[in-house]
Amino acid sequence: MKILEAISLKKYFPIRSGVFLQVCGNVKALEKADIKIEQGQTIGVVGESGCGKSTLGKLLLKLYDPTDGKIIYTDKENNSYDITSRISKTVASKFRRDVQMIFQNPFDSLDPRMNIYDIIKEPIAANGMYKNKREMNNYIASLLTGVGLYPEYASRYPHEFSGGQRQRIAIARAMAVMPRLIVCDEPTSALDVSVQSQIINLLKHIQQENRMSLIFISHNLDVVHHMSDRIIVMYLGNIVESCASEELFNNPLHPYTKTLMSCIPAWNPKEKKLGKTITDGEPPSPINPPNGCPFHPRCPVKMDECEKVKPMAYDCGEGHSVSCHLYKK
Amino acid sequence: MTYENKVIDVKNLKTYFRGYDGMIKAVDGISFFLKKGEVLSLVGESGCGKSVTVNTIMGLIKSPPATVSGEIIYNGKNLVGLKQNEFKNIRGNKISMIFQEPMSSFDPLYTIGQQINEIVKTHITSNNEESKKLIIHALKNVNIPEPEKRYNEYPHEMSGGMLQRILIAMALITNPDIIIADEPTTALDVTIQAQVLKLMKELQKQYNSSIIFITHDLGIVSEIADRVHVMYAGKIIEKASVQEIFDHPLHPYTQGLLNSRVKKEYKGRDLPFIEGYVPKPNEFPNGCRFNPRCPFKKDICTSEEPKESLINEEHSVCCWLYKEGENNENS
Repeated sequence: MKILEAISLKKYFPIRSGVFLQVCGNVKALEKADIKIEQGQTIGVVGESGCGKSTLGKLLLKLYDPTDGKIIYTDKENNSYDITSRISKTVASKFRRDVQMIFQNPFDSLDPRMNIYDIIKEPIAANGMYKNKREMNNYIASLLTGVGLYPEYASRYPHEFSGGQRQRIAIARAMAVMPRLIVCDEPTSALDVSVQSQIINLLKHIQQENRMSLIFISHNLDVVHHMSDRIIVMYLGNIVESCASEELFNNPLHPYTKTLMSCIPAWNPKEKKLGKTITDGEPPSPINPPNGCPFHPRCPVKMDECEKVKPMAYDCGEGHSVSCHLYKK
Repeated sequence: MTYENKVIDVKNLKTYFRGYDGMIKAVDGISFFLKKGEVLSLVGESGCGKSVTVNTIMGLIKSPPATVSGEIIYNGKNLVGLKQNEFKNIRGNKISMIFQEPMSSFDPLYTIGQQINEIVKTHITSNNEESKKLIIHALKNVNIPEPEKRYNEYPHEMSGGMLQRILIAMALITNPDIIIADEPTTALDVTIQAQVLKLMKELQKQYNSSIIFITHDLGIVSEIADRVHVMYAGKIIEKASVQEIFDHPLHPYTQGLLNSRVKKEYKGRDLPFIEGYVPKPNEFPNGCRFNPRCPFKKDICTSEEPKESLINEEHSVCCWLYKEGENNENS
């Protein structure tokens, strides 16, 4: 069953300047993204900073309004709604319960003035899930145990917890309304290595227990591979490659994906990898993206065509699609 | 090993801070040395005292209020308790530092040229033309395109990767004996990280300087380090060459760190992890500081602190599981 579908989603942030704040340019954060999320599926989104992966996540949650394109939401009863521009109140109440988010930095995403009980209660109360106070208390206690914290912690404040524990609280808060989809925006990048695995295991368990869908945004290819069924690789606002996660690791096609893979350290002093990487330069600014293929200024296998024509997504079989002229048929 | 080989020799260094609830033993009795032309990597999670260690070496910890004891021998001189005006000739000249956040390590109000010039003026030459030539040459060395133009630009006009390379140029300009790099690539993207590491390795060979490289990422360690010291809760718990650490990690914490890498084979299974959290510096447990999280805990671990035992020439560990000269693997 589908939950969300986005069709050629686009987001430009206008740059305004001058006395009358006229629009003098656009930050082209996301161009023509197609994405479809099924029940129980995990989609990983990888890319460097500034490639538009967080923008994509926030657009799907309707925290931003898209510049162009379409977002279609399917509820539990299999009714589809177009929620691109306006959501009616009845749809919004369903949508907000179905789709939740876990943010990157657990040190910023929890209100320091609220205790843990209030933090977790807020979404429950907003959705009117429990009227009876004792039932609600029991539910919150069960949520806390579910993420590996003691129910007694409910009366404490966020500053009393370490980063890993805070991220557990954020997970409990997202889980509180029993969503069908959680967008995780770099949930482990602010954590220590030994704690990162704990959080990843927890997310995976919760997902399997509740048959939830996840959109897992990260810059760490290894983590994304572990979590996802399907991976989307983004570069400068464009989806450059998208396929099943095993396939991406066994058979990366786009030169950018290959570059990313070559930049993962080897973890073996006998096979040092980083000295051999080929790519120079840095991602260009999304205000003035290069013509043609966005990756061509750094691409090791550049052709003449790449500078002029922007490649479309070519299908290479088994759901593997690549935006690169090398794979044109 | 002869004495001349050691560029810096740290003996029983302790840095304590006074907190509201007792002494915070950020660095608690660590000893290590750095050889000429090698990359020594200090590995550990946040709060284990790696940054405090190098800040103490750089003389950036004010004492008092902090208490610093022990010895840091550089060039036959003890840097602990050295007066600030004596330190001036060493800091930024003989020992220089590359900081973690390139975006916040620069003053936004001065141009790149002015900021590098400050170092050149203090340590090399006060002739403006000469120093400009020197700076532009240094920028060229770290692959900055159009260094003449960049000289007059402000930090906000540049990307993070470029600023990190300028920081490296800044650290190298006085041709120091020791470069301290405090998580220099943590704030950077993977492709840029690869470029910066490659550059650092090349320049290190070219200048034959020694680097203390701080990181929490063992992947980076495998790429750049010659020797590795693993820190946990203010102590160095394992010292070994890079190959030894990856082939025969001995301390349970080191093993845990190596295991917590997300490997391809783990797909569909649970990732192995270390139970619990890093203790706060005012709540270190008695005995071995890793004991609450350790899977091989024995009675002695909670009562007595383990001493450093030498397993072989290039490997030593602080753990009750191992005895001097013996290599009984417990994994």
